Amino acid sequence: MLGRIARHEARMLFSEKTPWLVLFLLGVSIGYAVLNGLEWTNFQRATLKNALDEQDQRYTNLKTQVAAIESGKMRAPFADPRMPDSVGGRLAWTYAAMPPSELSPLSIGQSDVLPYYFRVSTASKESVLTSNEIENPHRLLHGRFDLSFVIIYLFPLLIIALSYNLISAEQEQGTLALLLSQPIPLRTFMSGKIGLRAVLIVGVVILFSVIGIVIGGISLVSADVLARLTAWTGIVAAYAGFWFGTVLVVTSFGRPSATNAMALSAIWLLLVVVLPSAMNMAASVLYPMPSRVDMIAALRVASDEASAKGNKLLAKYYGDHPELVAVSDNQKALNDVAITRLAIDDEIEQRVRPVVDRYDIQLSQQQSLVDRFRIFSPAIIAQDALNDIAGTGVARYRHFISLAEDYHKRWRSLFALMIVKKQKFTPAMYDDLPQFVYQEERIDAVLSRTTAAAAVLFFFGGILVMIAIGRFRKFSVVS
Amino acid sequence: MIATIAKKEMTEMFRDGRFRLASAVVAILLLASLAAGWKQYANLKNQHDTAQRAERTNWLGQKPKNPHQGAHYGVYAFKPKSQLSTVDTGVDPYVGVAVYLEAHKQNEFKFRPAQDAATSIQRFGELTAAVVLQVLIPLLIILLAFSTFAGEREQGTLRQLLSLGVERTHLSMGKALGVAGALAVVIVPATLIGVFALALTSGSGLLAVDVARTFLMVGAYSLYFLIFLALSLAVSAWSSSSRVALVVLLSFWIVNSLIATRAFSDLAGFLHPTPSEVEFDTTLQRDLADTKGLDAKLDEIKAGLFQKYGVNKLDDLPVNFRAISLQEAEEHGFTIFEKHFGNVFDRFEEQNAVYQWGGVIAPLLAVRSLSMGLAGTDFAHHRHFTTAAENYRRTIIKHMNDDIFIHPTKAGEEYVADAELWKKVPEFQYEAPGASWALSHYKTSIALLLLWLLSGTVVVAVASRRVQA
Repeated sequence: MLGRIARHEARMLFSEKTPWLVLFLLGVSIGYAVLNGLEWTNFQRATLKNALDEQDQRYTNLKTQVAAIESGKMRAPFADPRMPDSVGGRLAWTYAAMPPSELSPLSIGQSDVLPYYFRVSTASKESVLTSNEIENPHRLLHGRFDLSFVIIYLFPLLIIALSYNLISAEQEQGTLALLLSQPIPLRTFMSGKIGLRAVLIVGVVILFSVIGIVIGGISLVSADVLARLTAWTGIVAAYAGFWFGTVLVVTSFGRPSATNAMALSAIWLLLVVVLPSAMNMAASVLYPMPSRVDMIAALRVASDEASAKGNKLLAKYYGDHPELVAVSDNQKALNDVAITRLAIDDEIEQRVRPVVDRYDIQLSQQQSLVDRFRIFSPAIIAQDALNDIAGTGVARYRHFISLAEDYHKRWRSLFALMIVKKQKFTPAMYDDLPQFVYQEERIDAVLSRTTAAAAVLFFFGGILVMIAIGRFRKFSVVS
Repeated sequence: MIATIAKKEMTEMFRDGRFRLASAVVAILLLASLAAGWKQYANLKNQHDTAQRAERTNWLGQKPKNPHQGAHYGVYAFKPKSQLSTVDTGVDPYVGVAVYLEAHKQNEFKFRPAQDAATSIQRFGELTAAVVLQVLIPLLIILLAFSTFAGEREQGTLRQLLSLGVERTHLSMGKALGVAGALAVVIVPATLIGVFALALTSGSGLLAVDVARTFLMVGAYSLYFLIFLALSLAVSAWSSSSRVALVVLLSFWIVNSLIATRAFSDLAGFLHPTPSEVEFDTTLQRDLADTKGLDAKLDEIKAGLFQKYGVNKLDDLPVNFRAISLQEAEEHGFTIFEKHFGNVFDRFEEQNAVYQWGGVIAPLLAVRSLSMGLAGTDFAHHRHFTTAAENYRRTIIKHMNDDIFIHPTKAGEEYVADAELWKKVPEFQYEAPGASWALSHYKTSIALLLLWLLSGTVVVAVASRRVQA
């Protein structure tokens, strides 16, 4: 019976122009969105390749310079490529980069605002772990037209557009009474109608997305990509489930089509547009992020004072780094300008730390506020999950930051040792410098987070469907 | 007659619970977003002012040292918040808050606030007053107006109305006035409160500039609302039923406030791509490293000086040649930085021009651009500040090198300047450009908004003349 209803419904649906138009617009939107995502990830990949080329080139130059200086063909410049303090600082810095994942084109997420590579040197953590990709601030403000935008914002509208008048249209045409005169319960009719639409819309969105991905040249063969794609599909289906549930509940009141359309648009507006942005506003009012202006001021004062103390800081520095005292040959080596510089940097960092920590504290306060209220907006849950799957969300970024931090620490202590040992760089030593290797976040962590998100969405969708079924049982044609 | 119709429309709307609810929600959101914006502005303004003063103290408090070291010590320039950022924060979260002004190097702005406040929902955007005005109020207008004609037609009251011999144009004018009046009840008090709050925070000196900008902003948004009012009435008069009118208007609203803004922003990116930071930096460094012209010029100057003073050693010159070589190297840098930064900035402006032209399809794009411009939170103002900061950097460097110039030293000696020199460098004062400067960047937007209103009015006039019961 259900099949027959669905078949009939399909015939009815496609006899009109609207579904074809909607499908066409959807196809165009998804195509444009995937294209945009690919453009961005290709840009990132090209940038990272340029960066590595640049580094190779720089290292080659430095090695030639070292050889030239050693053979007396060239006078050593101020920043001497043989001296570990200049090598680790301004000469041989390396890139710590997080390459986009295979599915990153699907959701640009926060990857256009947050850095995806750093220039690692012996400079302070604050100056190393900041980088700004060149981007028009207007474009950052407007956001990107990517696939997750189509899914989060436009997909619910599509669901609403195709099903807001499920019952009301029959009512307005006077066919509902005829329909219910058949020995079939209303909920079976509704299941057929909504089921067809659900399969159709979700199927089309996923199909179009996969077509876009394949055309875009993303390989689907690796287990990681397949797992992520499955999770993606799950989230899309769960998010759709929530919206179909909402549509069912609203239509079950048996109001006119215009009222349904208005009510559903209002719900969409509230959950997708107003609530998330109001939460952003609340977070920034309740836990205002201190301006970096304060940090700059603190940094200035700290660096003036630390520089004034100069080599008086050395004793403290060796207290903090006993391993350095052990490797040095003599007292004179420990009292070097380069080491004083390290000691000053250390002191500055320690003094600025409390100011810097405030950003992390405020951010975690803001995020916990978001986490507490995210349950009210399926859009937030779904968007987070999509970003997570695409590897453009907060979790992967934090993972990257912690890797970069470790690498920076390693780099610094390596050079501190070399400075104390007064090692001179030979060309071969450049090749032995540790390079940053990005370790991808474990896929099961991503999957468990997204499964939880999908479960929450399915749960809400399920409750809504139950409510609607209960209401359909009591539905009366005569008002 | 028109007044009577308007009065009837307004009364009806106020009786409607849905309207009361919707307007109450919008009014609350508008006030809340204004309050939040105001709080942020007050906070940040304070921080920026304090920091800028502290920077001056740091600069003046430098120990005696060589002027060139002074130039290296440098100054931070903090971008001041504009008053109207209360209404429209624009790109402020996405541009750095400060730039370090030092010798040899034009730095990029650092610390984009958006990078700090990167919660997982950040990219949903913040509910600023501008968002309420640009996105939510048009929706309210649609809800108020979609059934003005179509609804009366469905209820059969339009036939009676027309049978009374009411002129059709009077009818639509009355209805427009009615909707506008109802809307004014929501918006005017919020605007007054906003303007009052702004007046409270502003110093008397700045008031003159910002009054102009405030009025222009009110004008821009009024224009935008009128466009929506005209379109809603026209669609309502034209549509066969209020359902059709609603669907058409909602679709337009979605395209206007959701799709167009991102679609055009990305289109602009396709049309005018920007280089990556790595690429920018590599080419910049390459150009800076090419000092052939500079070296030749310096040799020439040196030869000229030797000839002028009849000496053949730098040590014997009555002026300090190091100052010349420093200054010349800086000037070599100035042109290169200007070229590279200028290229990128021009690219941004080309992108923004494409976005403005998107106003042909969606008036939101025009009003959003214009609003940011008037609030002083767009890229054009950012660039204006960048230029001012860069000029100040050049002032510092020039003062330092001029001082070195008149203090020749022998090889091995170092000249040391004291607080007198630091004082000679004037304090960094930034004056934001006037309202007309802001407007001049948005001629396209203004023209498009006017065009939308004009065509909207024509369509309403035609549609209401043809309206059939």
